[in-house]
Amino acid sequence: MAMMAPFFKYGMFGDETSLVLAFLIGIGFGFFLERAGFGSARKLVSQFYLNDLAVFKVMFTAIVTAMLGVTYLGWLGWLDLSLVYLVPTYLAPQAVGGLILGVGFVIGGYCPGTSVAATATGRVDGLIYVLGIFAGMFAFAELYPLLKGFYLSGDGVGLTIPGTFGLPYGVVVFAVVLIAVGGFYGAGLLEKKFAATGE
Amino acid sequence: MNPYLAGIGLGLVLLAAFVLVGRGLGATGAFNSVIAWAVSSVAPEHAKGNEFIAGYLTDDGSSPLKSWLLFEVVGLFAGAMFSGLLAGRATVTTEKGPRVSVRTRLAMAFAGGVLMAFGAALARGCTSGQALTGGALLNLGSWAFMMMVFAGAYAVAYFVRWQWR
Amino acid sequence: MAGWFARLTLNQKLALAAVALGAVALVAVPYPGSKVTLDAKELALVVGTEADHVEAPELAAWIIQSRADYRLVDLRSAAEFAQYHIPTAVNVPMNVLTDAGLGRQEKLVLYSEGGIHSAQAWMLLKAQGYKSVYMLKGGLDEWKDQVVFPVVADNPTPGERARDERLRSISAFFGGQPRSASAVAAGSTAMPGMAAAAAPALPKVAAPPTPAGGPKPAARKKKEGC
Repeated sequence: MAMMAPFFKYGMFGDETSLVLAFLIGIGFGFFLERAGFGSARKLVSQFYLNDLAVFKVMFTAIVTAMLGVTYLGWLGWLDLSLVYLVPTYLAPQAVGGLILGVGFVIGGYCPGTSVAATATGRVDGLIYVLGIFAGMFAFAELYPLLKGFYLSGDGVGLTIPGTFGLPYGVVVFAVVLIAVGGFYGAGLLEKKFAATGE
Repeated sequence: MNPYLAGIGLGLVLLAAFVLVGRGLGATGAFNSVIAWAVSSVAPEHAKGNEFIAGYLTDDGSSPLKSWLLFEVVGLFAGAMFSGLLAGRATVTTEKGPRVSVRTRLAMAFAGGVLMAFGAALARGCTSGQALTGGALLNLGSWAFMMMVFAGAYAVAYFVRWQWR
Repeated sequence: MAGWFARLTLNQKLALAAVALGAVALVAVPYPGSKVTLDAKELALVVGTEADHVEAPELAAWIIQSRADYRLVDLRSAAEFAQYHIPTAVNVPMNVLTDAGLGRQEKLVLYSEGGIHSAQAWMLLKAQGYKSVYMLKGGLDEWKDQVVFPVVADNPTPGERARDERLRSISAFFGGQPRSASAVAAGSTAMPGMAAAAAPALPKVAAPPTPAGGPKPAARKKKEGC
């Protein structure tokens, strides 16, 4: 069977359809986020107090699912993985950005996606958080000339772990699966140990 | 819902995005598109002059609101609302711990959002775009980002536990 | 065998499935890389029937009609492109051909100096799954020969007169001029005014009708980040 996906990149449909798909995919995204309980700040931050490691479980299960999916589809030749957009790597700003994001996560109680989900289910703090994001992003844009140097430090190309470390793709995939499954087991143990009283 | 099942559902949605459109999920870009639209509506020259904002404006003059991520985030809102209503989890409330006031919590939420914006801007994404999408694609920067997010959150969690406990 | 499996919890079953899939994936090679697959027979057939050729006069007609359903691709270097290129062409040098973001469903017409590079590029793109790739037969050489500097008869018969008038007007459209048949027959292979290497003999490309179809490869840089 010939390579035909990503369908959009093969010209199977246009921009308009792509936007409709964006909406539909978004519905699925929001649905499962809320299903997992991620419309609630308390559920989300429980991850960082070790009572409820759903964030880790959901995130890594999703990663493993999609990862296995693209690996197999690419292997079968049905998906051209090289046409799937890879966010360019800017190691320093991404690492620092991650730290800041983590702090913002535990202070604010949400991340951008979940804050929208929370707002959709009536959380006032979710809405305020969204406003905070707008304010912060606008501030960032205004300060951009100062931050530009740091922002652009790095290679700016899409790098993968197998590519960078010269490992076979499948080996890294298997390693991630093992880490995830091992992590899930460990998460279960941690949850039992740090179970919160009356949550 | 069983977190693993929810995760599988999420993963399949992400996979659908890869296969159909050749890109992953995200959220931050949608906020940027709205800001770009707002600024260019009020002060178009300033918008074009600001390199960061200009990146979200289009060459052919079409609205920055016609962005894939913005449509996706609108869908996110709808999907979450649907799920919440279905589960009876949709009520107007403020999530907080028992020891803080609503006002304090809301102030912290705002502060968290501001920080998050800076972090996401620097990292070119947030947990949806970088951690989920980049994670599945074994993107080097994304995995580094993901680990730092957990590190930062765990490091500070102890100091804000009064907000949640 | 089924017994112990049934006794596992759902989560344990999922974990087992994940590890099994991961183990099989150990030998996966998901990236097609730059490998190409060729259906030799099919391609040989197409080459033999010249189904994917576009003649120079045909292309000239399309340009004059301002047709926008195809993309004209100049495979030469940027310098050569700057000196002269067929109006409405975009410059995609050979070495960046695969990265240029040309749509796989787009109708592409390739040309180079003669026919060799365009033929090679044609082969490359077809092998990568591009659906609608055509070559300008004879390349820029034929273009000059038949469109910009066409040969017209010295003493045209009535039938030839009509043809020559058409050639003249087409040539004028592209800023060229006809050559007389006798001059060509006498062995003068030089195109009018092409002797001097310094003076760009071929007409500078004035504002040609730009195709309204699809965005150019460079402008297509939509933000795909998160």
